[in-house]
Amino acid sequence: MLALIAQRLAASVAAAALSALAVFLLVRAVPGDIVGQMLGQTGGDPTAELALRAFFGLDQPIHRQFLDWLGRTLTGDLGTSWYQGRAVTTMIWDAFRVTLELSALTLLISTLIGVPLGVWAGIRAGGPVDTAIQGFSMFGLSAPVFWIGLMLLVGAAAVFDWSPPFAYVGPEEDLPENLSIMILPVASLCLLQAAAYAQFVRGLMVNELRRDYIRTAQSKGLRPYAVYVVHALRNVLIPLSTFIGLILVQILGGVVVIESLFSLPGLGRLILSAIQGRDYPVVQGALLFVVLIAITINLVIDLLYGVFDPRLRT
Amino acid sequence: MDRFMTGRRATMLAGLAALALPRIGTAADDDMLYGPADPQARRGGRATIGSLVEPPALDPFRQAADARIRVSVLMYQGLFFEDDSGIARPLLATSAEAAPDGKSWTFRLRRGVKFHTGQTMTSADVKYSYDFMRDAKNGSPGAGDLSMVEAIEAPADDVVVFRLGRPNAALPMTLTNKYGAVVPKDFFADPNSGTRMNEISVGTGPFKLKQFRPNSVLVMERFADYWQPGLPHLDEVTFAVMPNSAAMAVALQSRRIDLAMFSRPQDTQALERVAGVEVKRWPSLNQKTVDLDCNYGPLKDVRVRQAIALALDKKAVMDASIAGYGKVIGTMVAGMQDAWGVPIADLPNQTVDLDRAKRLLAEAGHPDGFEIDLTTIIGYDWMDPAAVTIAEQIRRVGVRANIKRIELGVWIRNFRAREMGFTFNDWGTTPDPSLLFYRHFRAAPQGADFRNWNHARASELLDRGQEVSDPAQRKAIYVEFQKILADESPTIMMFSSDLLTVNTARLRNYTQHGTGWYFGLAKAWIAA
Amino acid sequence: MILPGLGRLTPGLAFGLVILATLALMVAVPGWIAWQSPIAIDPSRALQAPSAAHWFGTDDVGRDVFARVVYGARVTLGLVAGSLLIAALIGGGLGLIAGSTGGIADLTLGRLADMVQTFPPIIAGVVLTGILGPGAGNLILALAVVYIPTFFRIARSGAVAEAARPYVEAGRAAGSSEPAILLRHILPNVLPLVVLQYVILFPLALQIEAALGFLGLGVAPPTPDWGAILEQGKNFILVAWWLSLWPGLFLLLSAISVTILGRVLKARWDDA
Repeated sequence: MLALIAQRLAASVAAAALSALAVFLLVRAVPGDIVGQMLGQTGGDPTAELALRAFFGLDQPIHRQFLDWLGRTLTGDLGTSWYQGRAVTTMIWDAFRVTLELSALTLLISTLIGVPLGVWAGIRAGGPVDTAIQGFSMFGLSAPVFWIGLMLLVGAAAVFDWSPPFAYVGPEEDLPENLSIMILPVASLCLLQAAAYAQFVRGLMVNELRRDYIRTAQSKGLRPYAVYVVHALRNVLIPLSTFIGLILVQILGGVVVIESLFSLPGLGRLILSAIQGRDYPVVQGALLFVVLIAITINLVIDLLYGVFDPRLRT
Repeated sequence: MDRFMTGRRATMLAGLAALALPRIGTAADDDMLYGPADPQARRGGRATIGSLVEPPALDPFRQAADARIRVSVLMYQGLFFEDDSGIARPLLATSAEAAPDGKSWTFRLRRGVKFHTGQTMTSADVKYSYDFMRDAKNGSPGAGDLSMVEAIEAPADDVVVFRLGRPNAALPMTLTNKYGAVVPKDFFADPNSGTRMNEISVGTGPFKLKQFRPNSVLVMERFADYWQPGLPHLDEVTFAVMPNSAAMAVALQSRRIDLAMFSRPQDTQALERVAGVEVKRWPSLNQKTVDLDCNYGPLKDVRVRQAIALALDKKAVMDASIAGYGKVIGTMVAGMQDAWGVPIADLPNQTVDLDRAKRLLAEAGHPDGFEIDLTTIIGYDWMDPAAVTIAEQIRRVGVRANIKRIELGVWIRNFRAREMGFTFNDWGTTPDPSLLFYRHFRAAPQGADFRNWNHARASELLDRGQEVSDPAQRKAIYVEFQKILADESPTIMMFSSDLLTVNTARLRNYTQHGTGWYFGLAKAWIAA
Repeated sequence: MILPGLGRLTPGLAFGLVILATLALMVAVPGWIAWQSPIAIDPSRALQAPSAAHWFGTDDVGRDVFARVVYGARVTLGLVAGSLLIAALIGGGLGLIAGSTGGIADLTLGRLADMVQTFPPIIAGVVLTGILGPGAGNLILALAVVYIPTFFRIARSGAVAEAARPYVEAGRAAGSSEPAILLRHILPNVLPLVVLQYVILFPLALQIEAALGFLGLGVAPPTPDWGAILEQGKNFILVAWWLSLWPGLFLLLSAISVTILGRVLKARWDDA
């Protein structure tokens, strides 16, 4: 068990280090830099361009820039945004709170919808309820998230003459306003995630209910069927907990387009706008942060598997 | 609309007749700053403005982005106001006087002007601000426009003198609100002061910064000590970033926002029938062009550029891309056509002539045409339909265009590196021909000459156009320049698209400036 | 009715197959289905609602949306199919080698795959298309890079499992060369896994492709692509819903039909 943890941990650290290097190189491989954007369609005299490039340290050789950044990053300092002047860590945190709220609400609601649907479909496997729920989850898994979002936006305007307030406010400032901003994005994401849940839980339930001990007990009429459903459900919860991790990673990936579609100031938007503006400290910091989250979640899932599945412990 | 146009034309003619020197307004027309006043205006209220773009940062000295200029003009002011009739009206200055040799300008300053920081503005602040801007080492995109300035003096508290290496008739129009502004002396002593401007504003404008949350909102509040009596009317202005024009339209319908600017009339179509919102059209100082890098493949040959110009039907392109909501132009943005333009009929290469185009191509060694990449910029909605249309048009003479879309940052890089190829462009101007043409077409190093045109006569004319101050002489110079420009076609100016604003009925007296910047909010008000 | 390789024909499977067949027709011979040009413009009939002349309406430069959607099938589905094919060949090939040889190559490739997989696909797509520039070819490359690790992992774990089997050991003992073992024993057993993965990933990759197109990073006009039509339509959604509805619907149907196929295949092979 310890060996497994050590091995996984080492792999994660290696992946993180490689990712840091990749992030650094990739963002610089996109043509154009901040200096061009600041000067726009002006110039002729190169003085301004050279001065700005020196100001941002872009005149340094690339390995120097990398080592500088790496050194500061290892001490927890991600630098400041070239446009905003704010600490990148603060910007990430502010954006992450939005993404986190979006993800958490999505996770909560899609669990509340998806798990019962999956259980229901599993119990009624093969019946019309199952078919209907499977149809729903097929739809949810196949529909492009941004398309659903677009349709919801227009639908809300057409049917209720309502649109979300686009100026973002945090939940601590004004909760009702915050929730009315979140409702459409969460709804768009929930469809996909609830569908994924329903699908996953249904599969587990079907397997569990097929098990011999339940079949035998059921055929002998020992106890009411419902008791076995509860029993089966208990066995479903364990793999489900690891599935949540996967879902979380998926949501984090899926929010990029949704944040753009509803102009939410979350992590995805932060990264996209920083890439567009060539704000290297922000792109590097935010991408590294996302990567670290993904690595951590994967690590936790791996370890949980180890805990739940004794065969992997050797 | 009509009233608006006639009014503007009248002012312009009056301006031309009255002044022998460059057309500069006087302090007497303070009332005309930022648009017409509304006697019914009442103080109070908040307005929310929806916008598709967001300023990357608010530093007026070091951010060239149009999205920055749009909003920062409400917080920061230069010495003059770029009235879209083409007159530079005194803003922080009260008068301007050029020496007979044109090599020095004396500006009197307004007294009692307060910065948002509470200090009173003096000539030392003005000198400091423009000295900072013109020093290229400080990285201001506006530095190039002030390259002829040799020294700035502040002989008295309310007088500044600009000493020039060579005359520049466009100086007052250069000292307007696009780049730079007057800020308190020594503000930039701290190297991080540029980014501090995202937290506080230090200008003299009618609004001051309350909060800037990138990717979300920008809030400005009324500056209580603003120098124009009674202005601004609004207590607070919020700019909210909107994801797309459909979302803006929805937000207007549900009164989430009071004002939004749209780029294509199709976007506002759904709003024209909605009660309680008003759709308005305004003439603009922007131009949609196709640029031709004179160093790029077949475009090196002037005959090829002419052939492309002759194959282009500008009206059809405009119809396809902005449903005809604009004006076809020759070589001058629509808003300045009357004052500075050449009638389109007098310019070469303006009407479709496929036979001549084919002949020119054959002479240039391309009897069967050639293949070329045509670049559009992602996010500029008008470009794709325009590109599709142009590709069809030039195919008639054998030029096969492959449309290539690139991201704005990449495009700027190519443009600045003078590697633009064959590309669309969308640019606006401060209403003076020198500011419109000089940096784009004057050969390096004085100009940037992005299109590698390197034309001696054109450069000479552009220099003279700056030096001469008599309006009639200046016009003659720019007429000759424009004829060369049309003949050589390093750029094909196609049309100026009208600006479209939609506002809720409660937002009153908003006038849209031709630049597309939000000057009009200084005089807008909210009806209860 | 029993279909070879797919088993009993359920209503669901029938539905999926009908859509797949339609899509295949659209890809193979779009001209038979849509008679109008997908690229000829006519501003005089811009943004017309669906009618007998234009079943799906027209777009902002007057092109027939039905034709664009039909011809778009080849572009959109082709891009996804192509990029996944590249990913399957590279990822699968590397996984096969890494899994059967092990050692330092295995370790290095594994870490590289970890790294790529830690980036959310959309972000990876945005960064890669930013570097390479938008356009069909680069989009294929970007999508391929995103999915190479998935194929790598599947093929590698399959190969590891196979390599441990007694008959492989026996083959080695009998003097078969490593490449021969790889081709004769391991590949045939790993191939179904890769094919199944291909089918499972297809709907996901389709969504990423559409999302990138929607962000403006897809193919250049005038080429019809579903994601790009959606991007173009988003601004007109209040006045011209048809520009957004149809391509979205076809994306949905394509993903559903491939998912159905994937499930049937998976069920069959799991039983086998």
